Amino acid sequence: MSSHNTSTKEQDYLIESQGYDDHFHEHHHGDKYQMNFLTTYIFSQDHKMIARQFLITGIFWAFIGALMSLVFRIQLGFPDADLSWLKPFLGKWIVVNEAGIGKLEPEFYYALVTMHGTIIVFFVLTAGLSGTFSNLLIPLQIGARDMASPFLNMLSYWFFFLSGAVMFYSLFLSTGPFSGGWVAYPPLSALPQASNGSGNGMTLWLVSLTLFVVSVLLGGINYITTVLNLRTKGMTMWRMPLTVWAFLVTAILALLSFPVLASGFFLLIFDRSLGTSFYLSDIFVNGQILDRIGGSPILYQHLFWFLGHPEVYIIILPAMGLVSEVMSVHARKPIFGYRAMVYSIMAIGFLSFIVWAHHMFMSGVNPFLSNFFVVFTLIIAVPSAVKVFNWIGTLYGGNIRMNTQMLFCIGFVSMFISGGLTGIFLGNSAIDIQQHDTYFVVAHFHIVMGVAAFFGMFAGIYNWFPKMFGRYMNDTMGKIHFWITMIGAYAVFGPMHYLGMAGVPRRYYRFDTFDAFKGFDDMNKFITIAAAITFLAQLVFIINFFYSMYKGKKVTTPNPWKSNSLEWTTPIEPGHGNWPGKIPTVHRWAYDYGKDDREFIQQHIPLRDGEQHSSH
Amino acid sequence: MADHAIHNHDSHDNSRLWDGAKEPFKASYGKLMMWYFLLSDAFTFAGFLIAYGTLRFSSPAWPVPDFVFSSLPGDIHHKPLIFVTIMTFVLIASSVTMVRAVQEGHRYNKKGVVFWMFLTIIGGLSFLGCQAWEWTTLIGKEHMTIHNNPFGSHTENGVYLEGDGHDIKAGDQFKVGDSYLVHKHDGHWAPLSYKNEAGATKTQQLGPKAFGALFFFITGFHGFHVFSGVVFLLIIMINAWSGIYAKRNNKYEMVEKIGLYWHFVDLVWVFVFLVFYLL
Amino acid sequence: MGGHLSYEEGKKVVVKGLIILAIVTIAEVIVALLGKGYLIKGFHLPVWLMYFLMISMSLYKAYFIVYDFMHMRYEVPGLVKSVLMPTLLLTWALIAFFTEGKTWKEWRARSKDTNLYISNIPVEKQEKSSLHNEIHPGVESTTPGQHAPVEVKDAQNESHGASDNKTDAHSEPKEVKHAEEKSH
Repeated sequence: MSSHNTSTKEQDYLIESQGYDDHFHEHHHGDKYQMNFLTTYIFSQDHKMIARQFLITGIFWAFIGALMSLVFRIQLGFPDADLSWLKPFLGKWIVVNEAGIGKLEPEFYYALVTMHGTIIVFFVLTAGLSGTFSNLLIPLQIGARDMASPFLNMLSYWFFFLSGAVMFYSLFLSTGPFSGGWVAYPPLSALPQASNGSGNGMTLWLVSLTLFVVSVLLGGINYITTVLNLRTKGMTMWRMPLTVWAFLVTAILALLSFPVLASGFFLLIFDRSLGTSFYLSDIFVNGQILDRIGGSPILYQHLFWFLGHPEVYIIILPAMGLVSEVMSVHARKPIFGYRAMVYSIMAIGFLSFIVWAHHMFMSGVNPFLSNFFVVFTLIIAVPSAVKVFNWIGTLYGGNIRMNTQMLFCIGFVSMFISGGLTGIFLGNSAIDIQQHDTYFVVAHFHIVMGVAAFFGMFAGIYNWFPKMFGRYMNDTMGKIHFWITMIGAYAVFGPMHYLGMAGVPRRYYRFDTFDAFKGFDDMNKFITIAAAITFLAQLVFIINFFYSMYKGKKVTTPNPWKSNSLEWTTPIEPGHGNWPGKIPTVHRWAYDYGKDDREFIQQHIPLRDGEQHSSH
Repeated sequence: MADHAIHNHDSHDNSRLWDGAKEPFKASYGKLMMWYFLLSDAFTFAGFLIAYGTLRFSSPAWPVPDFVFSSLPGDIHHKPLIFVTIMTFVLIASSVTMVRAVQEGHRYNKKGVVFWMFLTIIGGLSFLGCQAWEWTTLIGKEHMTIHNNPFGSHTENGVYLEGDGHDIKAGDQFKVGDSYLVHKHDGHWAPLSYKNEAGATKTQQLGPKAFGALFFFITGFHGFHVFSGVVFLLIIMINAWSGIYAKRNNKYEMVEKIGLYWHFVDLVWVFVFLVFYLL
Repeated sequence: MGGHLSYEEGKKVVVKGLIILAIVTIAEVIVALLGKGYLIKGFHLPVWLMYFLMISMSLYKAYFIVYDFMHMRYEVPGLVKSVLMPTLLLTWALIAFFTEGKTWKEWRARSKDTNLYISNIPVEKQEKSSLHNEIHPGVESTTPGQHAPVEVKDAQNESHGASDNKTDAHSEPKEVKHAEEKSH
């Protein structure tokens, strides 16, 4: 790690003359920080290292999740293909018949679908995305030495790690992991005898996700406290970069919604292990009515989606924040409509708590109640459209640098529009009667919160890689990665809209046995091939990531993108405490690009004589 | 702002503020984190209580709490809500002693802090004891468990056909919503027969299962909070005694933080008391 | 910070708090007992009044604990808002969840075998269906709408299947249910 000697050379004179002296470096920081390998790389309490831990764990899980999707895509695209070549990897889940043809076990197909959803939604797009960038950027961008409680921050990562370990273990159970869908609706999740995966697989799933809730809460409490109480001098709320705003609202959503999921899980655990009937009623097993009555499976769905919908925004808001920031920097223009962006983030955050039942229109909720949920849901289109308009407004007339992160930002906006529009269809309870649980839904949420969130994450990784590792990622490989992913994602999910409108249901094992769906064989093949190619493009990214970490072009200037925000006032490889001397004092908002004929003005540079604050 | 200066010279890495020029909320990060933790915990309880309400709304009949919670130690029965009122007092009193401990902390009065915290712990333990007695009675004497709820309530008007010595005589009248207890003899439920208004002969039935399960689950979760509170109080009391908080020179902030938690437990009880015992 | 009151004033607040909370709790219990006719034989408070009084008194207690015991009164407005405002999000949750609960009850009441839901005397499972008929011989005739229940049942089954996506797991019980109904 860097020592203070290397960084003093580049350190900004302004920070020393104007900055705020918190006497940070006068103290001994004991042996807790970066004293040996263990405290530097494993049980680190430094937010930058924890961010890297989250990122790399997230990449690991993204790889596993994507591999799973490839396996079940092969099953869907080529249901008659011989899969015996997968036997070495999947073992008994590939059954080889006498003719030597290997088949994927249907039970395991469901497990794959379930695990793919759980892993990508929770481990990659929640922990891997907001965990990484909240940790990295919040202290750096608001001018703080570290998180409010570095210790709890470390615990947050290790609870996430533990949760992942439990889930990983469940993949190797003899009965397989949980297979009842990532939402884990009862009765499949509440009765251990309901299916193979409902036994130990479900138990471990619950343990894993309960640990995950703990991790999210520890992180969330930290992020909120840090943003609200630890900003540097001059960093008012209205001067914070949009990234920080997005992380703040994300953390609030997580803080308020994950506990409700936890309550739902606790009740489920009781149903499973102690024989209560919170979620069970009218269950017949082998023609016999179970003695478990009085509850309602819909109750679980309500509790789950009370988390579930905010969760969608927990995933997409950080991506939105990253995109706003990266886009402004690389269009060399102030973000268009800064305050409108902030209010949109808040509005989306608020609305996310009152729309959850739009996931349940067809589950038998009161139709009268559905009307309200439809209206609330459609209102979300307003702040979302404001944001899209502002991104396009930011690009308009900008001096755009077409580097990889900018491409991913543009890709994000494209994906967000395409996926958002189909959301308006699904938000109407009447149209939902036709569309629910078809591939239309699959296409919708994969584009709007899967691919779009990944694009935001990629933009963030390419942009802040120099801050994380002191080296650049390869831009050519990045562009190859972008174009294949962009085209590939549309090739995969575009046709799925068509399938969905034709009524093809999701989560089926194979379609060629249904007369109604036989005609889509070629389309399913096409989707599978496109998915495989898109997956290969992600390997380009992974190679680029790890290669650049050690061999990438070195960063030679503290502010390689000529960006305004505070993280670029730190040394190239900031040590513990981020700034070697004083903490910079902030004099302006984060988006003074092209003001008074100056290309960019960093936040810690005081106003000139007679200069006015940018109005925003 | 005096508080702030103190923090900056605190040599403890973990408890020092990584702060810039000011604390916008004029509270240390530890207190803020406690507040936000309590907020999220409030949502956990809200999840439970909303689930309770939903299941209760979905049941045709619900036992009347005045009938269910009417026993007192010493084999006293039919004294509705007296015992739980005592429990509530105990918890309120322990909250009050906690406030006193925090106040003594602000004056750096170590003896005062330890004394009042000790009383708080006694209060917490008494509450847990009361709860243990209540659960024991409900489970052991009245056979209410998470699987069975012997407390039913009538869904129609009618008259009893037979009495079995449990204060019900043949010919006693009852109204819609009146509660009854289905007794258990030798491991079997012994429901009474009655005639409804339409003249049909019927038998008492067990009440909604969810009642027992929700009661034990939610009061148990609250009791678990009380128990962990007592453990934390104990640790912090010993620490306060040893003088390490006095050295930190931050007005015994740790005592204040655990105080917040303890009041929160009391706050939750206000709502548990409301929905289980009053409504 | 809480240092806004002098020590003596603080002590007074404590005593005041103890008295107020005790009185409100007793008042709540009295309302509950009055409301259900335990105090004065034959006298019931109107249900809405009883609920209104109990809920508002509990909210007052909660307010008192948060503002005085937890010193919220002395925090800066930003902190107060950041902690208290999010709880307002629960308002719509309360309305929506409880409406749902009521809906389930109404739909179950329209279904033929209502008694399945209230009675759960643990008898041998085979006897279960016949037991209901014995205990409630008149129920079938008094339940309004003979056709509605079957429709509701089907709708529920379908929707479960739709959301669970294991439709086959549900189609089986549906058949069983029909068979059972025919046997009446």
